[in-house]
Amino acid sequence: MKRWWVLFALVFATTVCAAGPALRSLGGGQIPELLKTPSHGERIIMFWALSCAYCEPNMKALATVQRAHPQDIELVTVATDDISAHGAAIEKRLSQAGMAGYAAWAYTELTPQRLNFLIDPNWGGETPRTLFILSNGERAAVSGELTRTELDQLWPLPMSQVDAVAKGHVVD
Amino acid sequence: MSVGLRGWSHLLLMVACLVPLAANAHGDDGHMEMAPASAGPSLGASAAFSSDGTLWVVTASGGHVLLRRSADFGKTFGVPVEVNAKHQNIDSFGENKPNVAIGQRGQIYVTWVEKLPEKWASYVWFSRSTNGGKTFDAPLIVHRDHAWLTHSFDALKVNGKGQPVVAWIDARDHVASMKQYGMKGPHAYKGLAMYYAWSADGGKSFVPGEKVMDHSCECCRLALAREPNGVVAAFFRGVYDDNVRDHAFSMLPTDGGTPLPERSTFNEWQVAACPEQGPGLAISADGVRHVVWYEGKGGPHIWYGQLDPGHAPQYRLQIGGPGASHADVAVYGQTVWVAWNLVSAAGYALKVRNSTDGGRSFGEARTVAESAVAVYSPQLLVHKGRAWIAWNTLSGFRLIPVQRQ
Repeated sequence: MKRWWVLFALVFATTVCAAGPALRSLGGGQIPELLKTPSHGERIIMFWALSCAYCEPNMKALATVQRAHPQDIELVTVATDDISAHGAAIEKRLSQAGMAGYAAWAYTELTPQRLNFLIDPNWGGETPRTLFILSNGERAAVSGELTRTELDQLWPLPMSQVDAVAKGHVVD
Repeated sequence: MSVGLRGWSHLLLMVACLVPLAANAHGDDGHMEMAPASAGPSLGASAAFSSDGTLWVVTASGGHVLLRRSADFGKTFGVPVEVNAKHQNIDSFGENKPNVAIGQRGQIYVTWVEKLPEKWASYVWFSRSTNGGKTFDAPLIVHRDHAWLTHSFDALKVNGKGQPVVAWIDARDHVASMKQYGMKGPHAYKGLAMYYAWSADGGKSFVPGEKVMDHSCECCRLALAREPNGVVAAFFRGVYDDNVRDHAFSMLPTDGGTPLPERSTFNEWQVAACPEQGPGLAISADGVRHVVWYEGKGGPHIWYGQLDPGHAPQYRLQIGGPGASHADVAVYGQTVWVAWNLVSAAGYALKVRNSTDGGRSFGEARTVAESAVAVYSPQLLVHKGRAWIAWNTLSGFRLIPVQRQ
């Protein structure tokens, strides 16, 4: 009987503690999957870097919005730091920011410019960079920490507001 | 004696939860913020010529800054010399890189950033060699403030008196303000601050650092160059008003004068973000300050211009757009060179344009090298009137000659 409890505790502990999906490597080949149009609602992809002081407040704020609309918003983070050099630091920072439950990627190149360009040629690499992909295929992207007003507009996000949110930085 | 069923499950939960934390702790002391940056490869590098044409290159690897020399313009290199004997967690990623400069009597000055076991905390270190790079003195910390906070993105230049001048980005004012006013609100401190220090005794010690400007950008490299009167000048990204990321220009005097930074770009790119793209600066013998800089208002732009502190630069020319990054500039006489990375799906092209009329007009962009693997920012070097580009790539360091066209 005691053995069953131990097994249960182990499974429970593993489930609770390893709640977050593993950090995935993002190379050029994975970009189509990252940028896939969601079947429903909105996918928000937040690009961040270990050196960026504006990024953690931004991802925490996005997570708050996502939790308020769990059926409509999918939130994904992408670190632009190289996973082989910084993978452990990235996972630790995400965990400290309360982001362990969200799908997370990190770049597989030592300098980020090529992947930045493949994701969005109109992005110079500044972080945070938030990319919105709607189920109808439309996209918008914003550089910089989002303001309260911008966060309040994230869902529902009618197309008339995408331009406003993106301040004209519409990708497609 | 018996732990009990509840106790067992709690204990196991704790153990299972501790495992990933332990797996993440890579430092000697078990609570390092970063995995050792020096454990894997990094591309941060810089280079300098000494007067006899010897090329000196610094990179970081395995916890050490490594100095290599080439007597044949980069075709072959000698055995690397470890600048810091003691292993350090060196930050040579992003816009952080080791720096090298040559003194008037052939001294080799090197600076670098050590990451500390707390988020964003770092020290700027300096060491010198007075025997042609065979050995280095014990390193010293350039700044007097040793608090665990950001001292990063160092730049190094020797002034006309032969004094090594070091500038860096410093968080002490931000941290002090944050304690008083918090992170947000009308009194929140924008960005960090730019500081500098110099050595008046040939690199044995540094004077206490001075602040150049409050509200510098947080993670962009600084550009230094020597004025015709020998004073080192700086061009760097600031934070103006509400997160407007334009640039400032300032002298870095070592004679008791006060630095007087002036806003010198007016693109009005307003963004609460880290651009990680600092500018470039080259000053001609007649005092013209040639600059290149990046701004992302409405998309990526790289600009060339000639500084007119207090006003927008003259002879502005857009050098690059989407895919272009990390430009540098050099000048010799009336020849001005601009180099930058241009990325495409296939990889990186190293692009150059040059002017033969002092920067009033430039020839067409041309590709001088290509790389299918990751590359670092190009650095333009001039030796005896000829330009070269130091380009560190994942497949090795390259020194690329640039023909005038």
